[in-house]
Amino acid sequence: MTSNFLFVQVMNGLSFGALLFLLASGFTLVFGLMRIVNLAHGAFYLVGGYAGIVIAGNTGNFALALIAGPVAAAVIGGVSERFLLRRVRGKELPEVLLTVGIAFVIADVNLAIFGGNPQTLRAPEVLSGALSMGSFAYPRYRLFMILLAVLVGLGLYLVQHKTRIGAIMRAGVDDREMTGMMGIDVDKVFAGMFIFGSALAGLAGVAAAGQLTMRPGADTDILLFALVVVIVGGLGSVSGAAVGSALIGLIDAFAKVWIPELSYFAIFAPMAIILVLRPRGLFGLPE
Amino acid sequence: MKTRTALVLIALALGAIFAAPYVLPSFLVSLLTLVFISGLLATSVNLLAGEAGLVSMGHAGIAAAAGYGIAWATVNGLGRGSSLLIAFGLVLIVSAIFGLTTMYTRGIVYLMITLALGMVCYGLAYRLSNVTGGQNGLTGVNRPELFSAWWQFYFFTAAIFVLALFAVWIFRQSPFGLTLRAIRDSESRAASLGYSVARAKFTATILSGLLAGIAGMLAVWNAQFISPATVSFGRSAMAVVMVILGGTGTLFGPLLGAGVVVGFEHLLSSYVARWPTLLGLAFIAVVMFMPQGVLGRLPRRREPIDPRNRSKNWSP
Repeated sequence: MTSNFLFVQVMNGLSFGALLFLLASGFTLVFGLMRIVNLAHGAFYLVGGYAGIVIAGNTGNFALALIAGPVAAAVIGGVSERFLLRRVRGKELPEVLLTVGIAFVIADVNLAIFGGNPQTLRAPEVLSGALSMGSFAYPRYRLFMILLAVLVGLGLYLVQHKTRIGAIMRAGVDDREMTGMMGIDVDKVFAGMFIFGSALAGLAGVAAAGQLTMRPGADTDILLFALVVVIVGGLGSVSGAAVGSALIGLIDAFAKVWIPELSYFAIFAPMAIILVLRPRGLFGLPE
Repeated sequence: MKTRTALVLIALALGAIFAAPYVLPSFLVSLLTLVFISGLLATSVNLLAGEAGLVSMGHAGIAAAAGYGIAWATVNGLGRGSSLLIAFGLVLIVSAIFGLTTMYTRGIVYLMITLALGMVCYGLAYRLSNVTGGQNGLTGVNRPELFSAWWQFYFFTAAIFVLALFAVWIFRQSPFGLTLRAIRDSESRAASLGYSVARAKFTATILSGLLAGIAGMLAVWNAQFISPATVSFGRSAMAVVMVILGGTGTLFGPLLGAGVVVGFEHLLSSYVARWPTLLGLAFIAVVMFMPQGVLGRLPRRREPIDPRNRSKNWSP
């Protein structure tokens, strides 16, 4: 095992982990505040990815695609929240089941519009090819994904801990009713959070479109990873999502090389162990 | 409902089930077979959802474990007995994994974990291609000789379903069934009364898994074929829709839900190209407008529910 092999695998794991973080952070934030397990999160990711592909394909502008993906996902997320989820608020199961229905519809409409063939986004010149660092070389696009995830993570941390909105968010996670009593319009906060979470899924979709493919089924594939990440990291915790993403990303990268047939098992094993030993996950909120 | 009316209704239903292949065209009988199989899977989901308040989104994975077991054994020329042994062994292993990983959880966390496990099952069916045949699946899984004709298989399926429903009916009144309901209504109270909550949940998952496994085997024999599509998330979700549509916690609700879903699927999927969209919309409509399901709406004897827990216990 050469140091180059190790380097490449670690970076592969981290860049996949970066994608997982973009996805899982939105998922876990929505859960933390609203107690909704949004199973349409993967579908929002797909919407973001396709929107990015369309915009980048027509304008050739990658930055525009990076904006269009989150916007498209946010619009769909906002509509779902306003017209569907709001009506069953506080009833855990109907909420989850509604998101399943939404996921079905979105996935099928995407299939109708974009067909069954896998599609990718062509990364701009700056992000194509490999970046050499001494004796190591690594694809620029994957480095960009890591950078993006770090920026989003930092941004989330700063917003959560340094701003008024962040304070409201944290208060809402701790005690929703009390937050409402303090004169905060909880409906608005919830809607905002759901839209923001959807936008993060859309961003993950655009980022993934340059690296993986967007195709029917990609939504549920990635949803599994997001679920495993938040189960391992703990529902509702952004730091849990970060640690979980890195962990699952690394395990997945090494398992794919060492035990390719069982790589699915490899990400599932830590989840099972954690569930038995510590059901609320590494950083999960106490019940 | 008085006992006598109930008995008359049951006798009528059994008569109708028995008469169906003699009156209906074979196409409809095959459809009915499918309804019983889907209804059995939905019943296994309902066993957990209705009695224990645990909604599983991964039951297609458990069912498919049995399905793949029987398919693999049959394709590899193993005898009937050892095939069944392999299938039930696989179901027990998979349900035990489901049970062990979920026994400390409830509500949406339970749902989420079973969903993830179901997806892992899908991934395994897809990727362990030297055993499962990958995307192509396993073909040529013959039915047992005794039930090979369509009408024989119909009777076989119907008989199994009726037996399973009878078992569930008994189960609901058993001490263990009542323990589960106590846990559903208040976990802390059941625990403080000395019940081992985790053990009860584990056992319930195993029992429900066995039912799901039987449904999985019937499904393979019915189609004489199995592929990863059987394990998909959509299948698990459909089972939950059937349960809710029919009425969570009701005895006949899952069968009714299965009838509606299977019927509509066959009616509409030949005319409407975008069937999954319709399905999703139906899903949304059911959750929004009929959370109690069809049978849940009928007036029936209700156990008193602690009003403080009402918002948490969504089960009717």
